[in-house]
Amino acid sequence: MSEYSVVGQKLPRVDAVEKVTGAAQYGADVHPAGMLYGKIVRSKHAHANILSVDTSEAEKLPGVRAIITQDDVPSGRRVFATDKVLYLGEPLAAVAATDPDIAEEAAELIKIEYEVLPVVQDVIESIKPSAPRLHGDATKDGPNRRNISSKIKELSNSEADDNSNEIRKLEAELEKYADEVYYNISAESHTEAGDVKKGFAESDVVVEDTYFIPRVHQTYMEPHVSVASADSSGKITVWASTQGPFAIRSGIAGTLGIPLTQINVIGTTMGGGFGGRFGVIITHVPAVLLSQKSGRPVRVQMTREEEFLDGRPAPGCVIKLKTGATKDGHILARQALAFWDSGSVSGASIGSTIRVRGVYKIPNIKVDAYGVHTNKSGTAAYRAPGAPQAIFAGESQLDDIAEQIGMDPVKFRLMNMREEGDAVPAGGSEPKVGYKETLEAVADAAGWWDREADDNQGWGVAVGDWTNGCGPGGVYVSVHEDGSARIFHGSMDITGTDTAITQIIAEILTIPYENVTIRRGDTDSAPYSTGSGGSVVTFTMGNTAKLAAEDARRRILELASERLNTNEDNLELRDGAVHVITADPPKSISLGELAAFSLSTTGGPIVGKGSFARQPSTPALAAQIAKVEVDPDTGRTRVLKLVASQDVGFAINPMAVEGQIEGGTVQGYAWAMMEEMQYGENGNINPGFVDYRVPTSADLPTVQSVIVEVPAPNGPYGAKGVGEPPITPTLATMANAVNDAIGVRITELPIKPEKVVEALKNNGHEA
Amino acid sequence: MAKHPVSLTVNGDEHDLLIEPRKTLLAVLRDTIGLTGTKEGCSTGDCGACTVIVDGKAVTSCMVLGVTASGKEITTIEGLASEGELHPIQQAFIDTGGYQCGFCTPGFIMASKALVDENPDRTEEEFRHALGGNICRCTGYTKILEAVLQAAEEIRATS
Ligand code: FES
Ligand code: FES
Repeated sequence: MSEYSVVGQKLPRVDAVEKVTGAAQYGADVHPAGMLYGKIVRSKHAHANILSVDTSEAEKLPGVRAIITQDDVPSGRRVFATDKVLYLGEPLAAVAATDPDIAEEAAELIKIEYEVLPVVQDVIESIKPSAPRLHGDATKDGPNRRNISSKIKELSNSEADDNSNEIRKLEAELEKYADEVYYNISAESHTEAGDVKKGFAESDVVVEDTYFIPRVHQTYMEPHVSVASADSSGKITVWASTQGPFAIRSGIAGTLGIPLTQINVIGTTMGGGFGGRFGVIITHVPAVLLSQKSGRPVRVQMTREEEFLDGRPAPGCVIKLKTGATKDGHILARQALAFWDSGSVSGASIGSTIRVRGVYKIPNIKVDAYGVHTNKSGTAAYRAPGAPQAIFAGESQLDDIAEQIGMDPVKFRLMNMREEGDAVPAGGSEPKVGYKETLEAVADAAGWWDREADDNQGWGVAVGDWTNGCGPGGVYVSVHEDGSARIFHGSMDITGTDTAITQIIAEILTIPYENVTIRRGDTDSAPYSTGSGGSVVTFTMGNTAKLAAEDARRRILELASERLNTNEDNLELRDGAVHVITADPPKSISLGELAAFSLSTTGGPIVGKGSFARQPSTPALAAQIAKVEVDPDTGRTRVLKLVASQDVGFAINPMAVEGQIEGGTVQGYAWAMMEEMQYGENGNINPGFVDYRVPTSADLPTVQSVIVEVPAPNGPYGAKGVGEPPITPTLATMANAVNDAIGVRITELPIKPEKVVEALKNNGHEA
Repeated sequence: MAKHPVSLTVNGDEHDLLIEPRKTLLAVLRDTIGLTGTKEGCSTGDCGACTVIVDGKAVTSCMVLGVTASGKEITTIEGLASEGELHPIQQAFIDTGGYQCGFCTPGFIMASKALVDENPDRTEEEFRHALGGNICRCTGYTKILEAVLQAAEEIRATS
């Protein structure tokens, strides 16, 4: 029996009824009186100089109420492109009209003259001196050519070691331009610990490969949307579908030079985010500008196609990775060189390349990473940003080493895993972690130890780690005369976090879960709250909620002591009432009675306040095992079994936790097997669900989730962040399973049937 | 643009409307009638978020013009609960945790209702395939399938 009665229970979510009846209000469901429909005018070329923008025809269309371009941005901060566009779909202007179809027609009537420029969409191509420059001289102070050349030379480039040609060709190209500098690098990150050269020299087995991970879209089901209303006093209200209303408020204030207090952001129910719903200028700023200009509320809603063209997806990358180990299975060294595709602006999660270290004791490590510009939209977070890519390379290579030294892949991992007190390569020492427990749990649940496989069937394992973020938040809780409690806060519910907060407060106040309700305020009313991303909410708001409930409990005991004329030490809060411990016959007073009593006291009503900003968080592991069957003739992979375990510290609501594990794992599966944003001569060529296929229920079987609980010292009840870890290992899990099934190592995702057939053919298989 | 007279029955209520022929049934439901429970996820017929039931059949309302739905009987997510009682499918989605962000949920519930009404005896595998036109990005489908199976079971038991 659990020592708790509300936390740790599979309870229905607080928003259950509104979600299943269609009552929940998402961004596009907001419709203030007189609202206009906005439409963004987008570049039709992936790289071009803009010669002119002519809005005169569009202005004449009946029903058009406002047209804006960069000229309408008083602060001068870039919202629309002016002289040059860098990707297909880049915003150039926006219109607002009385009807969505009229807005669309008007957008078409805006004439734009382009001078088309050469396009570069591949990271490796983009580094070459011959590539078109996206930002002219602006990035010329970045790392110079020699620098990258030398980094490439540190790794072997012989065909015998790495059968990918890409980096070799790049090196050859760079050689030709001995003294040139190049300009398409946006950022760099370098980390080193120990001595990799020495580590490789002492290794019995060294494996080196180049891994290609595509750009994928978060594909939250609700496209970006905002409704803005600027009133005549200058006050701006924005209904925003966002993970972080407070970040949007400061973002709008900063972009438009408006005081913070003039802006109220109301977060609407969010139709998924996964890290991709923090952008300020994608729809929020254009909606505000259109509303200011038209004097009417305006809704700007992206279509699915616009999402693919101008969303902020996860960056693709190319990682060259080398690992050395002894023949008895000790990993000695690992070195990575990564090129991240950050699109037209910097910001790809290049720092995550260090995640190639995984959860292993690797004494010598070196990582060099670069962000590279291409003619694509910028990127953003997608569930553990950067980790799935780096871990795909790391965990794929680990299996190759295990195979070469003839060791079981699970045992090999267990033997190298870090434990409490072990040094984290290039990063301090490990707190209490549950790495081994989590991997063992998935191996047991999946039947790894006595696994069987028919022809063309195979098993794959991989693990991925992530540490949740933490940020500021505030919560109030009031106790009412009927004994119920009401929570007030400002953080966006991200699939069940409001429920977790409610469970925590019900637990501490010892009242039934149903008697606690929760309400989110807007940025004008609610206490500040960090954005709902980085798996922060349960950790941060859970801690905040605990503090608020404990504060309320203090007041409750104070009131009870006054009311019952006894010392607080002699009182106990239990089952929604305060009991006098030593009383015989029993004596108690209910929370409702205390709340009623409080109204006529000097101290006043029961209001608990919690506010919290920072506590160290603890890393969490996700471990997965897949069993697949590959048809060698068609190249199709069928998943027979997919088991996912995760150390969640403590599952405040196991049903919600399982849902996160299942959903994250399927997203990882999709990245491994199906999804890829494709780019042709003129930008993205698969901006819709027909060509960018995401999994449906028909694509894979039930994911079996396994909850492991190794408590985090500073998490509420020991909880760790849950949302991000499950996507981290799946890419490698799938690649390792395919390798086990048919003996081909696919290093380029997604593992589409064509690629499997091709790889088999190269291995001598006759189709 | 010229507007056409259209009569629809939505969740039992009759609506006599004037609508432009280019407006989809989805736009009519959401913008003209104000029933925003039905969601728009793609507007190309590929995600199922806009699924409603028209004369007993599940359709993606973004792919139907409003004018062609004239005279038809339409049920949306708002019309499923009766007299304050949730429909067994709605209840099953709550019990199993068959939703997360909830954006796909109205579409999934309507698509499942049409399937279960037609034949509640499908196996899990059959439901998996039959629901292949609906996308959920959050759940990984495990708990959605649990919900549909639970509801089908209940409907079988009571019918
Ligand atoms: S909105 Fe109709 S199918 Fe996607
Ligand atoms: S619950 Fe979010 S898309 Fe299905």
